[in-house]
Formats: sequence, structure tokens, C-alpha cells
Amino acid sequence: MTGEPRVRSLDDPSIMVDSPATIIDAVPPYPPRTEREAEFYSLKDGEMFVNLGPQHPSTHGVLRVVIKIDGEQVVDLDPVLGYLHRGVEKICENGDWHHAISNCDPLEYIASMFSEAMPVLVAEKLLDLEVPRRADYIRVLAWELNRISSHALFIGWLALDLGGITPILYGFIERDEIVEMLAALTGQKLLFNYLRIGGVNGDLNHEFLSRLGDWMSRAGKRIEESSKLMNENEIFVGRTRGLGVLTREAALRTCVTGPPLRATGIPYDVRRAHPYSVYPELEFDIPTRTEGDSYARYLLHLDEIRESIRIIDQVLHQMPDGPVMAKLPRLLRVPPGRAWVAFESPRGQYGAYGISDGSDQPFRFRIHDPSYFTLQAVGQLVPGHLVADTMAIMASLDPIMGGIDK
Amino acid sequence: MSVVSRPWSRLSLAGKIILPLIAVFVALNLVIVLGWVSGILPWLVQAILDALGDNVGILRFLIAATIILVITVPVAFMNIFFEMKLIAFVNLRVGPNRIGPWGTLASVVHGLKVLAKEDFTPTGADVPAFTLAPAVVYLAAVMTLLVVPFAPGLYGYDMDIGLLYFFAVGGVGVVGLMMAGWSSYNKYSLLGGLRAAASLISYELPLILSVMGIVMITGTLNLNQIVTAQEGSFLDWFLFRQPLGALIFFIAATAEASRTPFDLTEADSEIVAGFATEYSGMRFGFFFFAEYVNMFILSAMTAVLFLGGWNAPFDIDPLLSAVGITTPVSVAFDPASLGVGLLWLVLLAPALIIGLLTAVIWMLKSSWSIVVSLVVAFLLFNVIVVGALVTFAAIDLEWVIGLFWFIGKTVALILFFVLMRATLPRVRIDQLMGFAWKWLVPAALLNIFVTAGAIVILDQMGKTL
Repeated sequence: MTGEPRVRSLDDPSIMVDSPATIIDAVPPYPPRTEREAEFYSLKDGEMFVNLGPQHPSTHGVLRVVIKIDGEQVVDLDPVLGYLHRGVEKICENGDWHHAISNCDPLEYIASMFSEAMPVLVAEKLLDLEVPRRADYIRVLAWELNRISSHALFIGWLALDLGGITPILYGFIERDEIVEMLAALTGQKLLFNYLRIGGVNGDLNHEFLSRLGDWMSRAGKRIEESSKLMNENEIFVGRTRGLGVLTREAALRTCVTGPPLRATGIPYDVRRAHPYSVYPELEFDIPTRTEGDSYARYLLHLDEIRESIRIIDQVLHQMPDGPVMAKLPRLLRVPPGRAWVAFESPRGQYGAYGISDGSDQPFRFRIHDPSYFTLQAVGQLVPGHLVADTMAIMASLDPIMGGIDK
Repeated sequence: MSVVSRPWSRLSLAGKIILPLIAVFVALNLVIVLGWVSGILPWLVQAILDALGDNVGILRFLIAATIILVITVPVAFMNIFFEMKLIAFVNLRVGPNRIGPWGTLASVVHGLKVLAKEDFTPTGADVPAFTLAPAVVYLAAVMTLLVVPFAPGLYGYDMDIGLLYFFAVGGVGVVGLMMAGWSSYNKYSLLGGLRAAASLISYELPLILSVMGIVMITGTLNLNQIVTAQEGSFLDWFLFRQPLGALIFFIAATAEASRTPFDLTEADSEIVAGFATEYSGMRFGFFFFAEYVNMFILSAMTAVLFLGGWNAPFDIDPLLSAVGITTPVSVAFDPASLGVGLLWLVLLAPALIIGLLTAVIWMLKSSWSIVVSLVVAFLLFNVIVVGALVTFAAIDLEWVIGLFWFIGKTVALILFFVLMRATLPRVRIDQLMGFAWKWLVPAALLNIFVTAGAIVILDQMGKTL
């Protein structure tokens, strides 16, 4: 690094040795490429860099955040992305539309039922295809189950990053049951690859339904029970209330969607704002909070779990009989055109933009991931807080690195 | 003989460790027994005692210190097992259940694993400080155990300034944490070390102030006398005469032991492992052990200061005489009078007996592996020890009863610490400091003020608190 000499001894070049200790140093090995980089990677008196990640217990994936701290206070931070980048948009253009489903699966690896819906919905819009109603209901059922499993894990993670070790295991009990259920339906536990262009891969089976009925009989009760451990916990509330307040204006300016946006009081949910699938026929509320802090985001996730259980209840009562797959040719040639679809994932609005040139492959496929924008909010919210709050804020915004790095 | 028929290379690792150890123990014991029988050893001991003269206290101190150092290991194992099992229970998991009965030996195997790991020093570390830090932390924890009164007459050293010694030596551990944090050449370690220093120094103050009430009531710093002052029913415990002091002491002790919710010195979600990030092998093991020994010591001190120490919560003598047992006159347990014999008993006898039992079982049941024989021998040894304790109880019941109540209270407090860890999240550093300085210190001062006022008023009325 050029510039004024380092003051802190830990950053003193004279004691730096050519060893792994310097490799983990936060400063990049190249000269600053932008003004922002030059400003960030120069230290004032008493400041130092700390490298959180890429292998750090609380970055939820392979994210690296370089924080500049003054004592315990975070002065500035710089998220370093790309550790999971595999060029999925380009990969999708090289396979046909069916391949894109499994390629998009790992983007949202906590709730992959959502990310695999992107190519499916885009192709259906381009084909102007009417999906069988039973297939639509099954999709909503799978989405809402996956939303609950993702939110249950969110609650556990937030607690774990605040030092509580029990809620994560309670969250995993919920997730485990749902994942077992979906494994009975789809054959896989993590990357389901269940949705198909024109329907879903297979009807509901007996094992799935028996597991679902078993779980539904106690789902709501158990979530209320385990949330008691945190809701009125003095330490948990003291750590999260008033922390990382995202204002309405900042949230709108940063394009944040999903729970962080709804926690600021804006009831924007794609399921209601731009209805798709069979959501218009279902009765559910869009829970909102006005505070916009970490605690509000946590409570909002609990509310959304309750709403999802409500949706699942209705879906099970209203689901019609019929086929689960539309009649489509084996080699699917999508008519030329361009289409944009948006839908609500557990982390916000997932968007996909596809261009077709009439062949069986997407000509262009672009992905709009909500986590990318919530990660922008991390950079706005964290400076000025303590190191410990970095984790509380990051966990409450809940970015997933698969979709960010694409 | 299957021992002979099993070649050395076919032995498992455990066998290769156990066999030489058995040989060493047999040789040592032969020397001791022969020396004792032939009269050389008693003569030698007498000669040493004569040479020491009035300085026999030094020998007594050395023996007590050695015993205390040795018993910290099973104490730490016990605490680690409690922690693993109880947190698993709260988390709806099974916890350790494979090694030993109900997984009781899992923590012992953890200890062996830590011993077998590579001892790694990172480039750029300040080597002397890096090497010394675990020893400083561990010894600071162990040395405080010296003044803890376990039972009537059973203690390491009866110090008149026991309480002062406890706080003074307990504070030395901070130096070790700072050394570890600074010398590791790692920013997480540095943050962890500074956090440790900040929190421990802040919580030392309410910890000391909260026991001032007891010191004013009893007029002594001697822990044995503080326990004696709580004799009677459980209503005579200082918990009921100093409720605020007890609460403050317990909270501050939680912070002193770096336990949840005040465990931000090793907050794994923030600074990885704090000051211990760069440590591996047994050096990390020392930090790990020191934490659990600290937990035991602070539980023991809470029991001694506020829960009556070895005193029974109610008078059991009528109950015992009803079933025909009368408390005999107590024989004061004085390690110095036993001298080397006690050292032999505590250091060598358990290992020797377990080793011999293992060898015998292993030879008789050649289908069992050495580990199975070891476990069975360990269980058998425990049965023998319980039998011996019952026999001893017939000789000195007061001692055993005292130890029973003391250990019972301490273990209850340890389990409470573990339950807190399973339930609570962690506080932030500013909340931690704010809580100490804005709430605990004023409350402790108020406690001192109220206690002093009560003593003066009751003194005017001709009573004592």
C-alpha cells in the first residue's frame, strides 16, 4: 500500500513477514483501483482493519467483509464478493430451458424452491402457457413450506450470531421436518429441482401428505413455543431493539425488498402487489412493522411464518383434482420475445428477465437477487456500531451468498 | 498369558500407553512400599521434617498445592461433561453417549485428543509471551483453589486473608489473557484479549464490593471462619442475610468466569475464538481447562460465601441417631501429618489400582479390547472407592457429610451456569460495561451502606446480625 506510513504496529510493514499471516491481511495486494478503495484502505491514527471472512462463523456463506475499526467501533466496511461466483446467467444460456431450472437451484440454497422458479416462470410467460390449477396449488404449497423452513432457520441464525446456542437447534427441528417432507415429494433435501415448465414433477404422494398432516397439527404451536425463548428475553431485545434502523427512504433508495422493507412499514409483497400463480384466490395478510430495526425484522419473520401456515391450510382445503403437468412438446422451443417475472422469495423480490430467440435455449437470462440489495443496506447500517452489532445487523438482514455472487 | 502372547506391535495405542504406565506405577509403588517397610522412607521423612523444623508449613503447602493441581483435571472433565450433556438436553439432542457409561468419558477423550494435537506457534507471534500465557491463566485459576474450604478441616491452606488472596490471585488470570491476546499476532486475539481485560477488571470491583457485607458481619477474611459463621439451619446462610450481595456476587462471578451471557471474550460469532484463536494442542487445552476450573471455583466460592459451604441445610443428627448412627468425634484432616503418604494416596493409588485392575481384566477376558477393560476397571475402581468412602464415613462421618453438602451446592451452581449458557444470548461490550458501572457497583455500595447501618443499629440494641 502506498500513502502515509502505518501507525499501528499490527499493520506496520516493517514487522510484516512473508508468511500466511500476511495472506490473511485485509489489504488487497494491488494498488487501489477506485477512489472509494483508496479512501477505504488508508488508515487514520488508531484504526485497524479486521477481515471477517471468507471463513468466518457468522458471514452465512462465503462472504468477506473487511471492517475498519476504531477500538470496538466500526468506522467503515467493505464487502468483498465473488467467492461463490460461477456465472450462472451465462451457464443458463448454454443449456436449454430445462437445464436452467437445475442451474438456478443453488442460488437461494436455503430455499431453492424459489430460485428454481425463475426460468420456469419466464418460459411459461413467453409460451403464454396455462398451468394446470392443481400444479399451481402444489407450487404454492411447496413455496410456502420452503418459506417457513427458511424463516425458521433465520430465527436460529439471528440468535446464534447473538450468542444464543439453543434457538438454532429448535429452528432446525422445523426445517428438518419440512425438508424431510419435501424430500418425500421431490426426492431431494436441499436443491429440489421440482418445478417444471408447465407444472411440477410429480403429484403429491402419500408420504408427503402424511408428514405434512403430522407437522401441521403442531407447527404453529411449536413455533410460538420456541419463540418464547427470545421474544421477551431481556438480553435479546436489548441487543436488537433500535439496532440497525433502516429508514423507509433508505430502504426504497437501496431497492431493498422482502422482510427488511416490510419492517419499515411499506406493505410491498409481490404476492399481493403483482399477484401470480393462485395467490389472488388465497386469503392472507401482509404483516408489517414500522420500526425498521433488527427486532422488528425478527418479529416480522415470525408473523410471516404464521401467515404461511394460514396459506398452507387454505391450499390444502382448496386444492382441486387434475393433472399436474401441461401438455408440452419434448423439445421445448420457446417463441421469440422477452419477459420479466417477479415473485416473492423469503428474502424479497426475486426477478428474472429472459430473452428468447425462438430456439430451445434462452438467448439471455438475467437474475435480480434480493440479497444483493440487502447486502447494500449492510454497508449503510453498520458504520458507527460496534463489532458485535455487525453480526446482529447482517443476520437480521439475512443475505444469502449464492444469489449475490451468482 | 495373553499379555505375553500379544506382541507390542499388535497393541492398540491405548495399550501402548497403559502398559508402560503400569510398569512405572508398579516400580514406584514397589519403591515406596519397600522403603516404608524397611524403614528407610519413614526415616527419610523424619529426617526431612527435622531438617525443616518450624518450616514444616512449607512442605504442607507443597503437598496441598500438588494435590490441588491434580484434582483440577477431573474437576474440569466433570464440568465439561455436565456442559455437553445438559446443553444437549436443552437443545433436544442426545449429547455424548458413546465413550464410557452415558458418555461420561467423552471429556476425558477430548483431553487426550487435545494432548495429541500439534502444538503450533504462528509466525510473527511473540514466542515467550505466547508460550507462557496458557500457564499463567491456568495457574491463576488453580492457585485460587488453595484456599477453598471443602469440608471441616479439609482445605489446601488455612489463610487468615483467604478472601483477599482469592481475589488477588484470581485477578492474575487477566494478565495471561492479555499476554495471549497481544502475543498471537492476530487481530481477533487482540480484540479478545482487550475485551477480557476490560470486562474482568470492571467486574472485579462489584465482585469484591459485594462480599464486603459478609466481611463486616463476620469480621474476618478467613474462609473457614466465614463458613463456620453460617452454621445452623439454611436460614443462617448469608444468602438470606445478604440477598443483594449474593445476587451481585453471582452476576459478577459469571462475568469473571467468562460465562454466557458475559462470554464476549471468546464470542465465536464475532471474534472467532478471542484470545485463544491462534492456540492449538495442549496450550489451547490449558485455556479450555482454566475456563472450567474457574467455573468450579466461582461456584465453590458462591457456595462458601453465601450457601453455607459444608454446612447442612438442616440438622441431620436427630435423623441419623434415629437410624442408629451417632456422629463420632472428628479427626482433623491434616495433610502434613500424613506427609508423603497422602501424596502417594492421591497421586498414585487411583491410577495404580485402575491400571492393575485393567491388566487383570484384560488378561482374564482376552476377547475384550484394552479400552473396554479400562472402562470396566474404572467402574470397578469407583465401586471400590465408594465402598472405601462408606467405610471411612463410619470413621469420620462429619468430613464426608461436609464434602457431600459442599459438592452438592457447587454442582447445583455449575448446572445453573450451564443452563444459563444454554438459554441466554450474549451481551454487547458497552452493555456489559454499563451494567457493571451503572448498576452493580452502586448496588454493591448500597449493600455495604445498608449492612453497616444494620450492624450499628443492632449493636445499639445489643444484638448482632
